[in-house]
Amino acid sequence: MTNQQPVNIVMVEDDEGHARLIEKNIRRAGISNTIRHFTDGTTALDYLFHAPEGPAINGPALVLLDLNLPDMSGIDILGRIKGHERLKRTPVVVLTTTDDKVEIQRCYDLGCNVYITKPVNYESFADAIRQLGLFLSVMQVPEAGDGD
Amino acid sequence: MTSEPTDTARPATGLRMHILVGLLALGLLALASAVGVAIWAQQRAAQNGARVEHTLAVQELIQRVATYSERVETARRGYLLSAEPRFLAVFDRSATVLPAALARLETLTRDNPAQRRRVAALRQLDDVRTADLVRTVALVRSGQRAVAMTGFASDPATDATFRTRAIAAEMLAEERRLLAARNAEQQRSLWVLNAVFALVAVLLLAVVAGVAMILLRYTRALSATGRQLARLNSDLEGVVSERTAELQRANAEIQRFAYIVSHDLRSPLVNVMGFTAELDAARKTIADHLAKEFERDPDSRSPEVMLAVEEDLPEAIGFIRTSTQKMDRLINAILRLSREGRRRLTPEPLAMRALVGDIAATLHQRAADAGATIEVGDMPDIVSDRVAIEQILSNLVENAIKYGKPGRPTIVRVEGRRIGTRIAYDVIDNGRGIEPRDHERIFELFRRSGAQDRPGEGIGLAHVRALAYRLGGLIEVTSTLDEGSTFRLSLPHTLTQTE
Repeated sequence: MTNQQPVNIVMVEDDEGHARLIEKNIRRAGISNTIRHFTDGTTALDYLFHAPEGPAINGPALVLLDLNLPDMSGIDILGRIKGHERLKRTPVVVLTTTDDKVEIQRCYDLGCNVYITKPVNYESFADAIRQLGLFLSVMQVPEAGDGD
Repeated sequence: MTSEPTDTARPATGLRMHILVGLLALGLLALASAVGVAIWAQQRAAQNGARVEHTLAVQELIQRVATYSERVETARRGYLLSAEPRFLAVFDRSATVLPAALARLETLTRDNPAQRRRVAALRQLDDVRTADLVRTVALVRSGQRAVAMTGFASDPATDATFRTRAIAAEMLAEERRLLAARNAEQQRSLWVLNAVFALVAVLLLAVVAGVAMILLRYTRALSATGRQLARLNSDLEGVVSERTAELQRANAEIQRFAYIVSHDLRSPLVNVMGFTAELDAARKTIADHLAKEFERDPDSRSPEVMLAVEEDLPEAIGFIRTSTQKMDRLINAILRLSREGRRRLTPEPLAMRALVGDIAATLHQRAADAGATIEVGDMPDIVSDRVAIEQILSNLVENAIKYGKPGRPTIVRVEGRRIGTRIAYDVIDNGRGIEPRDHERIFELFRRSGAQDRPGEGIGLAHVRALAYRLGGLIEVTSTLDEGSTFRLSLPHTLTQTE
């Protein structure tokens, strides 16, 4: 654990309720990292690629991505991240209601690291997010620009 | 539309049949009368022939009488002149021939009084002459030839010969007249015969022409009906395939729609359930806090607050939970349906008897529990998607087992038959049946018919119909309440991929 810079969690989720529930459960899992929340694809992409404190320019990050966004599909965002020279190593967790096999395959093909289906049952939902939190707490996230 | 041509064709055909039968009867009658007339004419001709022969015989006899009369006269003269005994032989001969001829004439002319009188006269004349002849011969023999000679000119024999000649001529004339009359009559009956034959021939010709015309028209109408039927048939197939193609399109659209809607409905549901749980957690925190607070200061204890926290809030949260859970189940059902609609179909030749046998084996325990038996009839094979067909038929058989009529052992029969280019599979039961107003409704999602006393979500038949449409097929029900139902699945013989 040589890396001292805190990992920012970038959450792209158009549903405010889902975002709040995800955040609550991540906090309950003991993860205290900053969570930046975006409700549409355009501003999220702008932050990821152009913000001075964003992961493309500065600092490690982890992306929580919903696929059903109002202005674009989450798959487009995934493709852009995995196609970018500096962002491609950024872990992306797709967290969405879609459980279609074809969609899941496409996400993994594009380089998605984890794919989680949001269960409607809240106990399962909270459980899934808490486990994700535990996973995040032990996960190594590369620095932006590492290895360049 | 299909029943119209047969409705108008039937009475016309009936009328035509009546006419045909009438004509045939007429023809038969004409033939019979022709045969009758021919027989009658034949008899007539034979009769006539006999009568002509009779006349000819009479004529010959008259001739013979006349000839012998002349010969006897000639011989008498000769005998008187020469007294030669050889003339006596002529006398002897005529003495036997003439009476015989006269006797025969008498019998032959029994039917003609005038001729009979004449024959009697002839006989008398013969007797007179014979007596005279005997006297003459006696005179000549006794050598009184001169006496005999002198009496010659005035003797009765000569007179008798003259008169015989005259009567014979009369008789011959009479017979000739009769012959002519009989000939004329024969001619007339021949003419009548010919006329009758001509009439019959014309009649027969008319009958044959009529029958031929009717048959021709009938055959033409028949082949026209056949062509129409064939056209209707091919139209019907076109209509069916057009309709199933339409249904397939509509089905695919609904399934896409269902998929999107069910996904979008899930999102808010996650929130409702999530925040209800959060609410419950918060309530617990408040309840714990209040409990501690009231313990510390029992005076501040308020029954309303306790009621709200311990009963009203949990009740409200409980209702929200069960409702959202139910909604989740329904959405999952729609999702399952739409996902089934997106599955790729793989047509393959299916041995249907074996397939239905497997279904029956799988459902054997449930059928035994419900006291039901499953029969498998004739099952034509098909080229289609195995999973879809299995799901449809097992769903239908399962329903039949599930909705039996209490107090009557359920018998489920599965059978199929080819209808044109399609195959119809029937699942027939003697169960509780479905009310007519529900016949369409049961195929709708979440709709169920009759007493709601069996578990189920109302998805099975909606699923069955969606699958049938995808296979280019149709599903229909005919049912009588309390008597049973028949579900008919009709499918194209060979499934062709359209997606």
